Amino acid sequence: MARIGVFICHCGENISATVDCAKVSELAAGLPGVVYSTDYKYMCSDPGQSKIKEAIREHNLTGVVVSACSPRMHEPTFRKACAEAGLNPYLCEMANIREHCSWVHEKGDATTQKAFDLTRTLVEKVKNNHPLESIKVPVNKTAIVIGGGVAGIQASLDIANGGHQVILVEKQPSIGGHMSQLSETFPTLDCSQCILTPRMVEVAQHPNITLYTCSEIESMDGFIGNFNVKIRKKAKSVNEKLCTGCGLCTTKCPTKNIPSEFEQGLANRTAIYVPFPQAVPNKPVIDRANCRYFLTGKCKVCQKLCPTGAIDFEQEDEIIDVKAGAIVLATGFEIKNTDFFPEYGYGKYKDVINGLQFERLASASGPTQGAIRRPSDGKTPEKVVFIACAGSRDPAKGIPYCSKICCMYTAKHAMLYKHKVHEGTPYVFYMDIRAAGKNYDEFTRRAIEEDGAKYIRGRVSNIYEKDGKLIVRGADTLLGGKPVEIDADMVVLATAAVSCDGSESLAQKLHVSYDPYKFFAEAHPKLKPVETNTAGIYLAGACQAPKDIPESVAAASGAAAKVICLFSNDELTREPIVAKVNRMPPPIFSTCMGCEMCISICPYQAIDKENITNRNGEVIKTIAKINPGLCQGCGTCVAFCKSKSIDLEGYSNKQVYEEVLALLNN
Amino acid sequence: MENDFEPKIVAFVCNWCTYAGADLTGTSRIKYSPNVKIIRFPCTGRIDFMLLLKAFSNGADGVIVSGCHPNDCHYTSGNFHARRRWVVFRTLLDFMGIDINRITFTWVSAAEGAKWAEVVNTTASKIKELGPYEAYRKITNEIWES
Amino acid sequence: MGAINEIAARLLETGEAKVVIGYGEGSFGSVRPAFARNQEEAEKLIYDKRCTQNLAMYVYKKEISPLRKLAIVANVSTLRGIIRLASENQIKNGDIITLYINELGEVIECKALSEIEICLAEITPEIKPEDKELIDKLDAMTPQERWNFWISEMESCIKCYACRQACPLCYCTQCAVEVNQPQWIPVAANTSGNLEWHITRAMHLSGRCVECGQCGEACPVNIPIHLLPIKLAEEIKNIYGTVSGMKIQESNTLSTFKPDDKENFIG
Repeated sequence: MARIGVFICHCGENISATVDCAKVSELAAGLPGVVYSTDYKYMCSDPGQSKIKEAIREHNLTGVVVSACSPRMHEPTFRKACAEAGLNPYLCEMANIREHCSWVHEKGDATTQKAFDLTRTLVEKVKNNHPLESIKVPVNKTAIVIGGGVAGIQASLDIANGGHQVILVEKQPSIGGHMSQLSETFPTLDCSQCILTPRMVEVAQHPNITLYTCSEIESMDGFIGNFNVKIRKKAKSVNEKLCTGCGLCTTKCPTKNIPSEFEQGLANRTAIYVPFPQAVPNKPVIDRANCRYFLTGKCKVCQKLCPTGAIDFEQEDEIIDVKAGAIVLATGFEIKNTDFFPEYGYGKYKDVINGLQFERLASASGPTQGAIRRPSDGKTPEKVVFIACAGSRDPAKGIPYCSKICCMYTAKHAMLYKHKVHEGTPYVFYMDIRAAGKNYDEFTRRAIEEDGAKYIRGRVSNIYEKDGKLIVRGADTLLGGKPVEIDADMVVLATAAVSCDGSESLAQKLHVSYDPYKFFAEAHPKLKPVETNTAGIYLAGACQAPKDIPESVAAASGAAAKVICLFSNDELTREPIVAKVNRMPPPIFSTCMGCEMCISICPYQAIDKENITNRNGEVIKTIAKINPGLCQGCGTCVAFCKSKSIDLEGYSNKQVYEEVLALLNN
Repeated sequence: MENDFEPKIVAFVCNWCTYAGADLTGTSRIKYSPNVKIIRFPCTGRIDFMLLLKAFSNGADGVIVSGCHPNDCHYTSGNFHARRRWVVFRTLLDFMGIDINRITFTWVSAAEGAKWAEVVNTTASKIKELGPYEAYRKITNEIWES
Repeated sequence: MGAINEIAARLLETGEAKVVIGYGEGSFGSVRPAFARNQEEAEKLIYDKRCTQNLAMYVYKKEISPLRKLAIVANVSTLRGIIRLASENQIKNGDIITLYINELGEVIECKALSEIEICLAEITPEIKPEDKELIDKLDAMTPQERWNFWISEMESCIKCYACRQACPLCYCTQCAVEVNQPQWIPVAANTSGNLEWHITRAMHLSGRCVECGQCGEACPVNIPIHLLPIKLAEEIKNIYGTVSGMKIQESNTLSTFKPDDKENFIG
C-alpha cells in the first residue's frame, strides 16, 4: 500500500497570499494513500527539508509530493532531501502551485481548489513511481570550443591549462575575432592587439589545443560527456604542413582588389591572403570565390612561386570526426552595417561609417596607420558626429535591446579622434549614457570634460550630403527638442550588435535554445548564465548577448570552469529518465513485434535491434532495444509504439494516465 | 449574458518550452484563468493521443497541447513527430464529428510567458462559449448509468 | 484445371511451398479462404471476382506461419499487405511465394518481394467507389451530424474484434486494447469505450493501412469501420504524398517528418 506524504509550501507569502495552504494540506490528508500532510512557510529551507526527512522516517513514507514552486526550480533539492532520509529520490514529485497557480490567479476558492487539484494529480502520479537508480556514463575529457575570438581563446586556454584537450574551431582563416580589429580598448586605452596577440600565439603553441581554422560544425549527436561532432574543415587550397608562411604568394597574387574583411572594406586584399599580419595561424588561404584560377581556370601564379609547393588547388573540404565531453559556444556577434539605415543614407555615403570601421581608421596597423582620414577623399575630418544607439533600443527596427558596448566605445572613439586630431570637434548623439562598469563612468566623463566631446542627448533624424559635407539633423531633447544641425565631415554609427549569421542553424545542430534575436539562451538568467539547456554545452561571450571584453573573458573563464568541473569526474551520473522495451517470460519474451518504426522515430539513434535466441543460438524473435546511455527520455517512441511495448521511466503510461484521471475527477 | 460555467481544461505540455513558458508567466505575475491545469511531459512527442481521449472521457471540456516551436525541440525532433501525429489525429476526430474546436494546439516557447497566458485565456473563453461538452458527457455517463 | 491450380499443385509437389493460401468455394455461393496442402486441395482452389479478401492476414497467424514456406494467392490489396508487412519486418524475403492474379487473369509468380514491388509499380491504388461516396457524404455533413452518425454506429459495436482479426496489419501479440496497466480502453462494450477503440485502431493504422477494407467487411454489425483508416490513408496521401504498402523501403509516415511539414491549426 502506498504511504504518501504531502508537503504544502507557503513560499513565504508567494503561495499563501492567494492559496489557503492549510486547507490544501487538510484536503490532501483525505486522499487515498496519503498518510501524512502538512504545510510550512518555506519547504526548501533547512527546517522545511527536515520536516520532510522526519516524516519519511516517522511515517515510513513510500512517496513524497511537495506542492511548492516549479520542479524546474527545486525538484533536485527535494529529491536530494528524500534521498538523505533513505527514500529513493525518484519517489518524490513536485506539484507546481506557485508559478502555475498562486502567481497567476487571484486569491480565492478557485485558486485553492486548483492548488489541491494539482497536488492530487501528483499524488496519483507518485503512487505509480518506481525507485530508480541513476545511470553512470563515462566522460570524454576533450572540449570543443566553437569560435576563436577573445572568449573562445580564453575558454580554450583555461581548459587547456587545466590539463584537458581542447579542439578550437574557428570559421575564419585566423583566430582573434573582433578584438583583433580594435584599435584601443576602453576604459584604459591599451592597445587591443598588444594584449590579444600573445594569447593568440599561446593558443597556437599550446600542447593541449588543436586549432581548426576555416572550419565549422557540420553536425553533432550524443550527449554530455559523449558528444560526437563532425567538423567541416573547408579547403584552404594551401597545404598547411608544407607552407612556411613566407608570404611570397600574397605579394604576387594578381587579384588585389578584394575588399578586406579584416579592414572592414577600408583596404583591399589579394585572393590568396593572410587576413592580417598577426594572424594565427599565419599561413595564407585562397579565397576561391575571387581567385583567378578558380574563376577562369588560368593563373596559378602562387603555385609557380611557392618555394615549398604548398599550393593545392585540388584540396577538398575535410570532415573531421571528433569525440568530446563538453562544448563551449563562443561564436560572438556581428554589427549591423550602415546600409541598415535608410535615414542615414542606406550606406551610400562613403563617410558614414560604422564603429568597427572607425576602429580600423584609428588602429596603428590599419589602412591609414592610425591617422583619422575620411574614406571618401582621405582628408582629415574637422567635425565628426558619433551616433550611439544606431538601431539599438529601437523596436521599430526590430532591435529593442541595448547593444551595451556602444556607449563606451563611442566615448572612446570621441577621445581617440580628439587625441589624434587636436583641432577637431567630436559630437556624440546619445539616448542615455550607460557607463556601468569599473572605471567606465569616469571614462565617459573624461571624454566630455577633458577631451571636449560635445554630447547631445537626442536622436538623429536624417543625414544628407551637401557641398562635400554631411548634414546631420537631430534634436536636443535636453533643450526641449530644439533642432540641431551639424555640417560634419564624417559620421560614425555605433550600429547595433546582433547575433552572428548562422547562429540559428548552429543552435539547431547543437540542440541549444536561442532567444528571438538568435542569441543563444542561457539555462537560467541569473544562476546558470554560462550553461545552456543542453547539458554539457556552455556559453562564452557575446554569442549570448552583447558583451564587452571583460565580460566576455569572465564568461569564458566561467564556462571553462564548468568544463573543468565536469572533467574532474571520470563518470557522470545521468537521470534515469529513459525509455525501456518491456520483457516478458517466454514464449512471448516481449510484446515488441520488432516493427522497428521506433528506430526511425528516435532523435538520438538510441534504439537498436536485439535478437532473442534460444539455447542453440537460433533467433526466436527480434525486438527493439534502447541504449540507456544514448536515450534522453523524450518519450516520442513511447507514445508512438502501438503495442505499448515501450515505456518511459518517470513519465510512464501508468503515471500520465493516472494524472489525467486525477486531474479531472475531483 | 452571464456565463457561470467553469470549464475543465487539461493542458498537455512539454517540460522544456511550454512548461518553462508557463513558469515565466508565473514569474511575470501575468494573470490567467484557473480553469486550465497543466500536466507535464518531457516532450510533445511523448503525448499519447489516447491521453486526449481519456481527458474527454473523464470530463474535460477542452484540451490544450503545447510544446516547443518547430526547430526548437529540446530533443530536436519530438515536436516534428508530434506535429504529424496531431495532423492525422485531428483529421480523424473531425471525421468522427468530435468537436475539434475544443482542442488548442500551439507552440509556446520558454520565453513566451505572455503568450501562454493568452493561449489559456483564449481557450478558456472559447470553451466557456461552447459550453460543457454535453455530447461527450452523454456517451460517458452511459457507463455509470448502466 | 486453371492456372492457379496447376501452379499450386506444382509448388506443393516440388515442396517449394508447404501450403498454398487461396480461395475456395464456400456455402451459398460465397468464397472462403482455403489452405491447400496437397494435390487434392490444390485442385479445389478458385479465383474469380468474388475473391476480394486480403489473405495477407494469414501469413503471420500462429497456425500458419510455422508452415513456411508459404504460397499465397494475391489480389492487389494482398500484395500491398505483404509489402507493408515486409517493411515492418514481419515477413522476410523468401518466406513467401506470391501468386498475383492480374486484371487479365494471368498468374504472376513472385518469389522475391522485389518482384511484388514491380507488379505494384504499375498499379495506382484506388478506393472503392461506394467507400468514396460515403466518405464524401460524411465530409459534407456538419460535425454534429457526423457525430450522430458515428455514435449510433458505436452504440452497436459489440467489441468482438473481428475488425482486428481481419486486418493484415494487426499482428501485435498484445494489442493496445488489451493493455490493462493502465486500462486505456474499457473492456466492456460501451459507446465511449467503443469510440476510443476505433479511434485508437485507426490511429495505429495511420500511415500503414493498405486500404483493403477488410475490417469493415468483417464487422458482424456492419459498421463501416474501414472508412476511418481509409479516410486517414487518403488524407496522408494528400498531405504527405505517401501511400503505404507499395515499396518495402518506405517508412511509416508517422515515424518520419520533414522540418517544413505544413499544418494550419497550430498557433
